[in-house]
Amino acid sequence: MRSRGHLGALAGRFRGGEEDDDRPPAALVLLAGAIAAAVLSPIAPLVLRVAGVETSYALSLLTGSATTSVLANSLALVGAVTAASIAIGVPLAVLTARTDLPFRRFFTVAVALPLVVPSYIGAFAFVSAFGPRGVLADLLAPIGIDSIPTIYGFGGTVLVLTLFTYPYVYLTTRASLLAADASLPEAARTLGESTTGAFRRVTLPQIAPGIAAGALLVALYTLSDFGTPAIMQFDTFTRIIFVEYNAFGRDFAALLSLQLLAVTGVILALESRLGADRSGAYASRGARSGGETALGVWKGPALAFCLAVLVLCLLVPVGILAMWLFRNGGPGYAGGGFAFEWAVAWNSVGVSTAAALLAAAAAIPIAYLAARYRSVLSTVFDRATYLGYAMPGIVLGLSLIYFGTTYASALYQTLPLLIFAYVVRFLPQAIGTTRSSVLQVDSALAGAARTLGEGSTGAFRRVTLPLIAPGVLAGAALVFLTTMKELPATLLLHPTGFDTLVTYIWLVQDAGYYGAAAVPALVLIVVSGLSMFVILSQENTDS
Amino acid sequence: MTRADASERSDRPRRRTRRAVLAAGTAGLVGLAGCSALSGGGGGNGTTTGAGTTAGTETGTATETGTATGTDTAGNATDETTQGENAAAGEALPIEEYRGSGPLVQQRPSLSGTSIQDLPPLSGELTIYLGGGEGGLYTNLISLLERTYPDFEPKTRLAPTSQLASTIIQETSAGSSPADVFWSVDAGSLGVVAERNATVGLPQRVVESVPQQLHPREDWVGVAGRARSVPYNTDQLDRSQIPQDVLEFTNASVLQGNMGWAPSYGAFQAFVTAMRLLTSRGRTKRWLNGMQEQGVQTFPDEFLVSNAVADGEIAAGFANHYYALRVQAARPNAPIDLAFTQGGPGALINVSGAEIIKGTQRQQLATNFIYHLLTVEAQEFFATRAFGYPMIPGVPPVGGLPTIDELQPPQLDLAQLSNLQPTLRLMREVGVL
Repeated sequence: MRSRGHLGALAGRFRGGEEDDDRPPAALVLLAGAIAAAVLSPIAPLVLRVAGVETSYALSLLTGSATTSVLANSLALVGAVTAASIAIGVPLAVLTARTDLPFRRFFTVAVALPLVVPSYIGAFAFVSAFGPRGVLADLLAPIGIDSIPTIYGFGGTVLVLTLFTYPYVYLTTRASLLAADASLPEAARTLGESTTGAFRRVTLPQIAPGIAAGALLVALYTLSDFGTPAIMQFDTFTRIIFVEYNAFGRDFAALLSLQLLAVTGVILALESRLGADRSGAYASRGARSGGETALGVWKGPALAFCLAVLVLCLLVPVGILAMWLFRNGGPGYAGGGFAFEWAVAWNSVGVSTAAALLAAAAAIPIAYLAARYRSVLSTVFDRATYLGYAMPGIVLGLSLIYFGTTYASALYQTLPLLIFAYVVRFLPQAIGTTRSSVLQVDSALAGAARTLGEGSTGAFRRVTLPLIAPGVLAGAALVFLTTMKELPATLLLHPTGFDTLVTYIWLVQDAGYYGAAAVPALVLIVVSGLSMFVILSQENTDS
Repeated sequence: MTRADASERSDRPRRRTRRAVLAAGTAGLVGLAGCSALSGGGGGNGTTTGAGTTAGTETGTATETGTATGTDTAGNATDETTQGENAAAGEALPIEEYRGSGPLVQQRPSLSGTSIQDLPPLSGELTIYLGGGEGGLYTNLISLLERTYPDFEPKTRLAPTSQLASTIIQETSAGSSPADVFWSVDAGSLGVVAERNATVGLPQRVVESVPQQLHPREDWVGVAGRARSVPYNTDQLDRSQIPQDVLEFTNASVLQGNMGWAPSYGAFQAFVTAMRLLTSRGRTKRWLNGMQEQGVQTFPDEFLVSNAVADGEIAAGFANHYYALRVQAARPNAPIDLAFTQGGPGALINVSGAEIIKGTQRQQLATNFIYHLLTVEAQEFFATRAFGYPMIPGVPPVGGLPTIDELQPPQLDLAQLSNLQPTLRLMREVGVL
């Protein structure tokens, strides 16, 4: 028995409720622990480096006005982007999952697609479209409007980050909606609740864990993203860390990175408490698809909302890329004759696939332990993996250079180390989907298999694994598409001579040849978009 | 190749040099006369040295064919001896393969210096860490060399220059670096690596053609230069309104609310570092504050500064010189021109350069490769495709740019540009970063 929405369902994580019929097998704990330790290992070089910094100097750096202001900036940004992502992602999820929105299937896929647009490309597109002398300004100039609000700064950064990360909230919320029993709100309405009242008092508690899981991914992504704040000219941890690394200020950068990780820890703890409070919100898993709520007069505004999101998130970046491609002049200068080769795209697909498979495999023990045997230890393993996700790619990359050159020169600048870096960065995405799949499988099934003579490993392999496979696959697809667009760690760790789509885009864009960046960027978006279909198609694999 | 052939070859450069010194001299004068770099200069060069491009045919001697100058027309004129030699060393490519195209490159004077044909062939595997790389242009040059030498197997690793410098330092301190050569678009990064004793010195014969200032020690050598400049919008400003001294920009009322800069951009930070080292921290702070009071606008990089100037969004900006040239190459009618300040930090010339990484097993090949970057062909490539400043006297810059001497760059060891920390602290303190 399996419900829908194995999907991006980082959702079900706090649903809990599985009876811990026995203690976890020691081998499983050891395996999960080893994976968590491996994922955390890149932090060690940071600690070592910071330990070498004089304490008083370190303190003066950390308490300097510049540092405290980037701390305030980063926190404000995380708060605003998370809130805005919820404000966009949750309504979209409800509209596509529970209402009679026109063209529902189209919108279901389309509003998830912005996730495949790398935020540095999104930000560049927004600056080109809405910046001073951008497309919008050019359009408005003839009708006498010669000043538009600036796209730079806090507002623009929030806007761009929200538009390209809200799909995390959308996907997880949608998954919880599909997994939750849709007949409950109907029951509430028969008991006299209004539609909104039923949503607030019944549906919302059901999907809160899903929202929280998506919001966590948004918050941590915001904290670790470098490209957007850099382009939108807003000072955050990552921008300063990047500038410092480029200025050979590795001590200060390491110090800031640890501070960033501390902030991550606080966010994780906060989210845990939030999750714990909601753990009573148990979603029954015999999900029946309830009737759709008729939108009535709200059909028009709902449609307009979905279209507006799509225009901003997909049409603007793709349109600007197309403009760079075809327009001679403006910022779309053609490159220095550096021909784009398809081999570059194949390289990207190859490493991303490898990272996705490895992450999916590594996610299973941790997710299974966290879902089946709730304990402090299983929670710690689970949470520890999120630290890697919040670590800026450049910090991770330099840590692994230290690790590779010092302890593993045979692995240095090889694909295995690069793929390991990807797994460290994106493992939580695979763990989330896998964990919720495990939660949705009735543990009595595995128990039944064991009474029929299977060992615990055999029961897992023959019963549980096939049942959670769609969730694992969805997690792998999510890792695939984020790996496709990962830039900083790729630049530092790729094998010499092994170029990918993002390193190519970086190369031409760094020199201002935006036109030459258009083709690889479009290829990147299309290929990643295909993996989004894998994620969403899992919804239809109901038994 | 016989001994006689070798001496024949070694004779050629000398002959060429003599003639080209004259040509370069005239070009220099023209450059001086037309200080406004972009508009008049290019034409000026063309008329003065109009015969330059066809120098090979004019002299018409067999010895000229196959050399850098001669190859202009060598496609059909190459004599058989040369062809035979080329087959042994790989097919030598005519200089047009290295030369760019477009309005800024239409008229090139005759060139002189060591030709690729004067050097032993490149052969074997070579790992090159390429910091920056100007949008793939450097990779293009490397593949031209690959085409010339079938046995040459370069492996390039591309990343931001400072990240590669950090990587090399980490690698050499942990044991050895996979890199044989570090080729970086920023002298500061070269300097940082050299300071950590992670390099092997270059032989005198390789670096001697490059001005001392552009290879302060024998650790590294500049291969192409870029000058700090002030791109300005010719519809909004007259050249005479732009101060001659960069420190005076804070007082120019015509620039109030009308300037742009890119403080997070490496080249700008190098310029502020130079100001700090050449004047003082306090003076630099006053300058930064003064520019803020001028209402200077911030851009993500200097290409976008130059683009904004061409668009009229700002009247002038601070940027490396080649960005304005690239804007002009793509939009010949854009109202943008370049002004250069005289002396001091505003006249800083930073270089793209190369060095050999300590522990390499291929020192000879690495040296020969760097020597190749200083040949007439490679220098013409940097001049006409990347719009950079050539490092050897026999190849002039494009578009009537003033020569390096005319710019009066400040006396500053470029390796010191890696001293970025105090600069960043200062910039953060005044709130421009």
